[in-house]
Amino acid sequence: MKLVKLVKSFWLWCLAFLCVLAVALLEAPTTASQQGRIAHLETLVKCPACDDLSVAQSNATSSIAVRHDIARRVKEGQSDNKILTSLEATYGTSILLSPSTSGLGLLLWLVPLGAVVALVVAGARLARRR
Amino acid sequence: MTLTWLGRAALYLAFLATIGGLVHQLIALRSDRPSRSIQWALVSLAGIVGAVAVMQFALITHNFSLAYVSENNATFTPLLYSITGMWSALEGSLLLWSLLLCAIIVLVLHYYRRRRDDQVVSWAAVVLFGVSAFFLGLMCGPADPFIHNAAKVLQGAGPNALLQDNPLVAIHPPLLYMGFVGFTVPFAFAIAMLITGRVHDQWPLEQRRWTVLAWGVLSVGIVLGAWWSYQVLGWGGFWGWDPVENAALLPWLTATAYIHSVIVQDRRGLFRVWNLSLAIATFSLTVLGTFFTRSGVLQSVHAFSSSTLGPLLIGFFFVTVALGVGLLAWRGDRLRSPVGVDHPLSKEGLFIANNVLFVGFAVVVLLGTVFPLLYEAVNGGQVTVGTPYFATVAVPMSIVLLVLMSLAPLVGWRNLDANVLWSRIRFSAWTSLIIVAALIIAGVRRPMVLLAYFLATAAAGAALRTLRGAFVAGKRRHQRWYDALRGPSAGGMVVHLGVVVMALAIVTSTSYTTRNEVTLATGQSTVVSGQYVTFYGFRTVKDSLETATQLRVDVNHHALLPAITTYHGRSAQPVGTPAIDSDLARDVYVTFDAVGGNGAASGAQVEGDLPAGSVVLGVTVEPLLAWLWIGGLLLGVGSALSFVRRRHGDEGDG
Amino acid sequence: MVISLGVLVLLIAFSAFLATRHPISAATEAPSPLLGKIAPTLKGHELGGGTFSLKSERGKVVVVNFWASWCAPCIQEAPELSTYAWSVRNKGVVVVGVVFNDPVNQATDFAAHYGSLYPSIIDPGGVIANSYGVTSPPTTFVINRQGRVAVTLLGATNAKQLAAVVARVSS
Repeated sequence: MKLVKLVKSFWLWCLAFLCVLAVALLEAPTTASQQGRIAHLETLVKCPACDDLSVAQSNATSSIAVRHDIARRVKEGQSDNKILTSLEATYGTSILLSPSTSGLGLLLWLVPLGAVVALVVAGARLARRR
Repeated sequence: MTLTWLGRAALYLAFLATIGGLVHQLIALRSDRPSRSIQWALVSLAGIVGAVAVMQFALITHNFSLAYVSENNATFTPLLYSITGMWSALEGSLLLWSLLLCAIIVLVLHYYRRRRDDQVVSWAAVVLFGVSAFFLGLMCGPADPFIHNAAKVLQGAGPNALLQDNPLVAIHPPLLYMGFVGFTVPFAFAIAMLITGRVHDQWPLEQRRWTVLAWGVLSVGIVLGAWWSYQVLGWGGFWGWDPVENAALLPWLTATAYIHSVIVQDRRGLFRVWNLSLAIATFSLTVLGTFFTRSGVLQSVHAFSSSTLGPLLIGFFFVTVALGVGLLAWRGDRLRSPVGVDHPLSKEGLFIANNVLFVGFAVVVLLGTVFPLLYEAVNGGQVTVGTPYFATVAVPMSIVLLVLMSLAPLVGWRNLDANVLWSRIRFSAWTSLIIVAALIIAGVRRPMVLLAYFLATAAAGAALRTLRGAFVAGKRRHQRWYDALRGPSAGGMVVHLGVVVMALAIVTSTSYTTRNEVTLATGQSTVVSGQYVTFYGFRTVKDSLETATQLRVDVNHHALLPAITTYHGRSAQPVGTPAIDSDLARDVYVTFDAVGGNGAASGAQVEGDLPAGSVVLGVTVEPLLAWLWIGGLLLGVGSALSFVRRRHGDEGDG
Repeated sequence: MVISLGVLVLLIAFSAFLATRHPISAATEAPSPLLGKIAPTLKGHELGGGTFSLKSERGKVVVVNFWASWCAPCIQEAPELSTYAWSVRNKGVVVVGVVFNDPVNQATDFAAHYGSLYPSIIDPGGVIANSYGVTSPPTTFVINRQGRVAVTLLGATNAKQLAAVVARVSS
């Protein structure tokens, strides 16, 4: 009977939840490895011959060439930013699958943020009206 | 010459009949008489059916006197792909669209025939005729499908290679168009309600069935499109955030918000402005989608060739939105409801969050889609907005969505009783936690995956609990189990289950997909990501339609035949044809990437340093991908259940 | 009311913006096994007489355009190429055409008709086209100052695209 009551308790569940959360966060894999960096960068660069595939997804010759280029640069120790900018210089700005956040690109992130704000404000206004 | 004139005559007939219906309806409204506009609609339907028949006849008999046929058909094109050739290019796709639109107009007018004299029905008919007139008018003018081919051609170009290697070309576009055309109906009625000022009526409820049907068909159409692209495009993915894909997603998003929001209007009379706006927005986004597909301003693998239709389509989009906004402003005073939402975490509150979420996401997807155009106009350069951006935005949105799906079916109207909510969600909460703990123990470490499974289980729990409630209530009333499935929220909960399954499939496959290239000589085997792959040799397949170099590959002793295929026709270029070994645990996706030797006749890329007889295979292993299609099937089933749902207050409801 | 007006203004701006966009008319940059490699030999007799050799243009950016009189997009891009060639005639950029699979008299007529402002060389036997891997015109290669193939463009290009690509290659 007591066990049932315990399981029914919200606070026990919260405690269990926090434990699992702690374990999950502690055990989360870190992507600082070179392989991880290379894989991540490959998802950010468009295959030069395709419309919307990344070099990670396409096996076109130019795509493979770019993959080798990225791997070489990562092994040389270049920073992510430098790699992306040098690819931009070779292939043009359209090679990146997500525009840089400077300039007009900022708009791409302000609007979703605005949507989040709208949601929060709507909730707050409702809560206040009670 | 004959076919051209026959086709054009049929089109003109359809167009004039639509105009006639429009005028007749307006006169009937003016003089307050019941209208017989269904007769005009029938003539219009006859006209478009005639036009479609002419086009199909020309395609099936490979009659190249029509320019459209010589561009999309060849003498060796099989029957199925001749028929589907009608919607392979721009002008023909408008034929399909208009056919569906005229058919649905007849359906609507027949369904509401006993309420012909109702002003709302009359005005809705006016709007429907107007939309039909626009699309038929396009075909009578700038997008003429029946242009005569001045040259005497003996052979056509044949359909695009990617449009003739999978039978889904016969299903995906018609379903998609049925969904789009279906949304014309709620739009028409929304405009009608605003014009007549009868915004308090039960019309939104009347519309529910049309909306659910259109939504269900559109959802299944989108999922089938993803499946089709998965099977043929060769990169193992199913969604590329391509402008045309986004164009189909946008109306789906607002339509989903609309379906949910109408429930609140049903129960508590709230959200009138939201619902009218969403109905109008959904249809307008459909028109905007046709603009993206047909104007040629955005680069896309799906887009039809560019044409002069761009400004016309955008103009029509403008008219629909401006009309909606104007009418809403005009009738604004009548739309305010006396009551409001009482608590942010009540059902109504969560539904508002749902609305904001879906509309917000639609705005973001729209922005991402047109951003390259904006950037070019402002800065002169080219940018790409692709998966990294859309995924970054979609992930938090999906998380919030799953949270809403876990809570909303379980909370009450008007107020939140925390104790009651906890007692209802308790079981799912513990199950979710246990499942996450089990996953961690099993070695799953990525936080996103764990979070997805946690929330998905909670959402599934809420859906299952509601379904169980429906069955229990049904049993008490001595109903059969399949009658219980016709209860108020059963269909919706099945749809939620489908969404949960799809979400899990997407998260698992995108997080744990492994891509590898393996080089194998004839007869050689290897193990790739736990799959045993053997290459047995080449085979050339040649028939009237195609010439293909097939590879015989075995994956875990299942034979697969990836190939490089060249479809005959003027635009003959080799396309990679992937082969997939699919089971419930994982999909193995094999592509023929390169061949050894020096210039084998296969059309594949040549790897200079490989010996002849060796191949390079792309092997992608995607766990749980098959569940994505199963989830899609559940979506369809749930929509069908919702369509046959018993109305509130019908026999047997509590 | 204010919201409606705001939405209307946004809508007008949005529609007007989209209505004034032009369909994509530029060529697509394509993968080519030649990218980064030294450009294959390109020399021959020009249509109006004279000779051309790629080697002697080392140090300049060279735009090589394969075209034919029977190819519709070539008709579309011919004036653009001439415009571009004229605009860069003193700027270290050379534009040269190569006749692809076309009889000399038809090619000459075409060039005369479209007022070609850059030389085009004849490719007997299609040897040059073969070495460049050209299967369908129009195909344009941009060769950098070091003599390597930097960009391959498939399809009809235009002056604006060429200017952007050459600027990128020169930097």
